[in-house]
Amino acid sequence: MKRRSLKLIVSLILMIIVSCNEPETVVTDYVHSDGSVTRKIEMKSIEGDIKKRFNISDIQVPFDSTWSVRDSIEINKKGDTTWIKRAVKQFKNINEINLAYKTDSGANKGMLRQAGFRKRFKWFNTEFRFSERIDKQLSFGYPVKDFLNSEELLYFYSPESLKHDKETGPDSLKFRALADSVKHKTDLWSTKNIVSEWIGAFSNLTAGKAGKDMTRESLKKHEDEFIKIVEANDKKFDSLWSEGIILKKLIGEENALKYKTEADSALGSVTKYFLVSFKDYSVRIVMPGKLIGTNGFIDSSHVLLWPVKSDFFMTEPYEMWAESKITNKWAWIVSGLFLAFVLSGVIRRVIKKD
Amino acid sequence: MKPESEKFFEVLKLLRKSKPLLASTEDIESGVIKRITKTNYNGLSSSQIIDFLFGWVYIGWVRRTLITASIVLVMVFIYQQSIILKRIDVLSRQPVVISKESTLSPADEIEKLLIVYKNSGRIFPSKTITISEREMKELLESVNELQIKYRDLKKLIEEDPELKKMIEKKLMENNRTKINL
Repeated sequence: MKRRSLKLIVSLILMIIVSCNEPETVVTDYVHSDGSVTRKIEMKSIEGDIKKRFNISDIQVPFDSTWSVRDSIEINKKGDTTWIKRAVKQFKNINEINLAYKTDSGANKGMLRQAGFRKRFKWFNTEFRFSERIDKQLSFGYPVKDFLNSEELLYFYSPESLKHDKETGPDSLKFRALADSVKHKTDLWSTKNIVSEWIGAFSNLTAGKAGKDMTRESLKKHEDEFIKIVEANDKKFDSLWSEGIILKKLIGEENALKYKTEADSALGSVTKYFLVSFKDYSVRIVMPGKLIGTNGFIDSSHVLLWPVKSDFFMTEPYEMWAESKITNKWAWIVSGLFLAFVLSGVIRRVIKKD
Repeated sequence: MKPESEKFFEVLKLLRKSKPLLASTEDIESGVIKRITKTNYNGLSSSQIIDFLFGWVYIGWVRRTLITASIVLVMVFIYQQSIILKRIDVLSRQPVVISKESTLSPADEIEKLLIVYKNSGRIFPSKTITISEREMKELLESVNELQIKYRDLKKLIEEDPELKKMIEKKLMENNRTKINL
């Protein structure tokens, strides 16, 4: 069985993959009041042949031949060339988007993604809600909010450009300290997730066979001890694991010998989850009418922005949502006339009484 | 002495015999009809209509229902607007990302509006456009025409490597700004 080092897994999770060779992708959804969506993909690359670089397997969201595509090259004043690919498609409704997600063969085909649209008539206004949701990857992981405070959470979910601006801005020292704190805490979060996921997978495999000391609950009680063992041995993890030394420390010599196969299988399934291929991108949403709520960031062109990274939906579903409203002017006029009618009737009665 | 009833009938007889002399009975008749009609018309246009419209004021349960409905309407309005204002206030305090992820250029903004226009088949929101629909259609037609010409030109250049090389070189030499090939 192919095994991968835990250290490698952790490194891959924690690594911010900002490769110069990777095209930068922004997906923009223009949501219309009838529920249709115009989706635009914009991929930028600073090197390479655009036709070779922008294969379907490179694209982060579903893409096919029905999109209208435009390629262009931009050369700035310094002489730097940027290859840009723009693709646009009109979706009649979110069902079309969801169908495309189900049949996706692109870079992020392994992720369960879903779009949602809701339109609510509220007499004076009509409210709209659009969302994009990515399902969580791990079954036994911990929510990141258990490890980070509100300020750290905001930093964690921020776009890279905002992080960079803050770390080089007037309060750079404060934000660098914040970045270090977030990194330290998310390192711990990742290790705990790996251990928790392994416990979950291992206890599932040994269910019904092992004794009471091997149930998920009893193994969970020793989770912190497990983490300490893993952290203490992370440099030689591969060899120590294959020799069964770590497993002996975790579950005892007898159980380690008895359930070595299950332990290896559990580690294999954890590795599968953590090494899932995902290409980061950014999502932008343009809502109809006036924006009234969102969990995203507002960018300089007054469009909502969300970075999409695999860390964000590791242990919890990642939902990007926006709400807007359109004022129903006719309802305001009808209501005004009704109020005037009732008020004048009441006044007339009072006058006649006198 | 004559009885009272006999006296009464004699007076009645005298009155019947002495009828007033009328010059034109037809004029009097038409005058009376006109006045009656006028009076009836005036009543229908003002007080009767108002009475009909506001008749509900004198029916207790209708009056109470309409007043309650008005109060509910006002309360719903205040509640909705206060919630919306509160949410907009929260949004306005959010930091704005001066973003590299943001790749919209002014040209893209126009493109965005064109896409919205083309796909929705509706006129732009009033705050974003001040030109007429006819002018907008002309603009769209021009853009489409330009795109066709651009594609033809692109095809022509791509089919001729020498021409492509020459154009690229020329453009690079002249100004290193934006080239679309």
